[in-house]
Amino acid sequence: MQMILSKMNFSSWLKKLNSYRIFAPVKSGEVWSYELVEKPENIILDYPNTIIPPKKVLFPQREVLLEFESSSEQEIKLKEVIPEETPSVIFGIRSCDASGLAKLEKIFKGGFEDLYFSKRKNQTILVGLACNIPPSPDCFCTSVGGSPYSKDGLDILMTDMGDEYYVESVTEEGEKLIESAIGLFNDPEENVKKELEKIHLESEKKIKRYIKDIDKISSKLPEIFETEFWDKESLSCILCGICTYSCPVCHCFDINDEVICTFPLKGKRVRTWDNCQFPDFTMHSSGHNPRPDKASRLRQRIMHKFNYFNENCMELLCTGCGRCISKCPVGIDIVEVLEKVRVYEK
Amino acid sequence: MVKLDDIKKECKSILEEGKVKYIVGYKRNNNYYMSIPAFIEKIEETDQLIWDPTCVYNLVRFLRDEKLRKERQKTPDTRPIGVIVKGCDSRAINVLLQEKFIKRENVYIIGVACEKSGVIEKKKLRKKFNEKNIKQIEFGKDNNFIITTEKGKTTISAEEILAERCIECNNNTPVIYDVLLGEKVERSLSEHFRSLEKFESISTEEKWNFWKKELDKCIRCYACRSVCPMCYCDECIADSISLAVKPDTTAEEKAQKIRWVEKSPVSSENFSYHLIRALHLAGRCIDCGECERVCPVDIPLRYLNKKMEKEASEQFGYTAGLDPEKPALVSDFKDDDPQDFII
Ligand code: SF4
Ligand code: SF4
Ligand code: SF4
Repeated sequence: MQMILSKMNFSSWLKKLNSYRIFAPVKSGEVWSYELVEKPENIILDYPNTIIPPKKVLFPQREVLLEFESSSEQEIKLKEVIPEETPSVIFGIRSCDASGLAKLEKIFKGGFEDLYFSKRKNQTILVGLACNIPPSPDCFCTSVGGSPYSKDGLDILMTDMGDEYYVESVTEEGEKLIESAIGLFNDPEENVKKELEKIHLESEKKIKRYIKDIDKISSKLPEIFETEFWDKESLSCILCGICTYSCPVCHCFDINDEVICTFPLKGKRVRTWDNCQFPDFTMHSSGHNPRPDKASRLRQRIMHKFNYFNENCMELLCTGCGRCISKCPVGIDIVEVLEKVRVYEK
Repeated sequence: MVKLDDIKKECKSILEEGKVKYIVGYKRNNNYYMSIPAFIEKIEETDQLIWDPTCVYNLVRFLRDEKLRKERQKTPDTRPIGVIVKGCDSRAINVLLQEKFIKRENVYIIGVACEKSGVIEKKKLRKKFNEKNIKQIEFGKDNNFIITTEKGKTTISAEEILAERCIECNNNTPVIYDVLLGEKVERSLSEHFRSLEKFESISTEEKWNFWKKELDKCIRCYACRSVCPMCYCDECIADSISLAVKPDTTAEEKAQKIRWVEKSPVSSENFSYHLIRALHLAGRCIDCGECERVCPVDIPLRYLNKKMEKEASEQFGYTAGLDPEKPALVSDFKDDDPQDFII
């Protein structure tokens, strides 16, 4: 279904969706993030990439998995805490972030279904907004199989056409969302369709960063696993959690018991984001850490994204959103690192 | 103004003489006007070095990595590493020396005086310019900055985009060095605690609301800790394994470990993390402002550290990182230390 929605009618459409929880980019200070919005009419869709990607809506940084309680030494009561999610819509999500969620779906709903993720995912509709102008100078989606108007993972794709949005449904859920307020939409004229094509093609040209020979790089990575390359490239890394926490597809987590009371025992088993750059990541109980230094941690991040995942799932674990480049406090640039891999000679 | 050529000359000569293993300095980020840390091993690489108002990093942070690297090597090269430091950064070296974390012979200090200038603050810059359009930022002749954008060059007074910590700085000349580049000039642009004092004037309730709002944003990426030259502990309360586990650590010890701060980014844990960090930096933080600069969600962490700095100064007449021979604040006492807080 392809429709035109005048910008004046945008907030009326949102009002019709009052049975859904609506998430959209919200600005606080200088920082944008996806938040639950109370007044959908205030949504601003002209925004740079959020610091934290929308993965946080479906895979929150902290998730209670279960609660435990014991009244006597013999008995421990467990209570599973599965999220009861109400239907939600994420508005204005960028194509890279939507494809990020599609990749997360492969992980959390692949061989083993993670109920916490899938309960939320099944009830969430993704309404994307094509990037007519790349939101960041570090965007490189076109190098990793994406595009500024990719429909991958989306239910609806909207494109800003000046005074109106071109609204295209991708799935049945998306179609229903449009139909629920069909009176607000018009059919697009033939010339508008042409205009849309033009905008999309132009937007692709505006992307400045590019990775050459990504397939070759991907298969070359294991060859340079044991080289000094990683030492050199990671020299300035400070091992913080910014690149991974801000990545739309990084999904490592840690599970801890948070004890509220020791006697009688009471507490929660909690899952939180973890990341491969922290000193205690993959630390064994003996104190041995197979990834003891910066070199092996940077290598892990790059290998997982551009080699391991590619071998297991036939796609890259990167959407080209550029967040890890823009946000790295010491300027480590994943596109540059990959280019150096490409030209590296042992 | 310090000439870049002088910095390059010094770096070339110490590399030529084999005095240092490598030098940590600044170079240009290929795609962006900012600088990035440079690790210079070869003489020809010294051409990459830059010196401009974007050289914000406190490179002393990398002495810790070098120490760890050496510990893992069987036959390490024991020569010192060279590090380029500004006034504030140099005080961090003094703290590490005081605490015996590094030895003086481990480091060759190339001090660069900020003279009447300093480094930029991105937040201030963003208010005046669209960051995407900036090509370069240089020191101007009259202690101002020259910003090149697509449209050409603009001159802007230093105070307008100078980092707040630079405005409040009392040590624009490095306090410890092997070689000093630039002039020792007096300057105090403003009161040393000007932003903190403004903040202190609000009510307790307002302060609480302020910190609740700010710290609730924290995603616990620990960039603030990771970038800090003084956060070098093997065992950090912030890690889920808050115990430096060694092969001979017993199961008993592991089982008994206390988890001080949960990994969950919720108010209580975020407050614990930040208050513990602030206390652990009392008398140690030298206000290089790195923690605040790297925070991806713009939490104004300098207030916490400045508060500690002010307490140390008012209660004990102590300023961090001025003298490597003096005992550190928390490992020393005097008979007339204030005791009125003891009930
Ligand atoms: S690459 Fe950058 S963002 Fe990632 S851990 Fe290293 S310093 Fe932090
Ligand atoms: S690896 Fe970097 S560019 Fe790729 S999706 Fe993650 S944050 Fe974005
Ligand atoms: S850098 Fe900012 S977000 Fe990260 S842990 Fe520190 S205060 Fe929190």
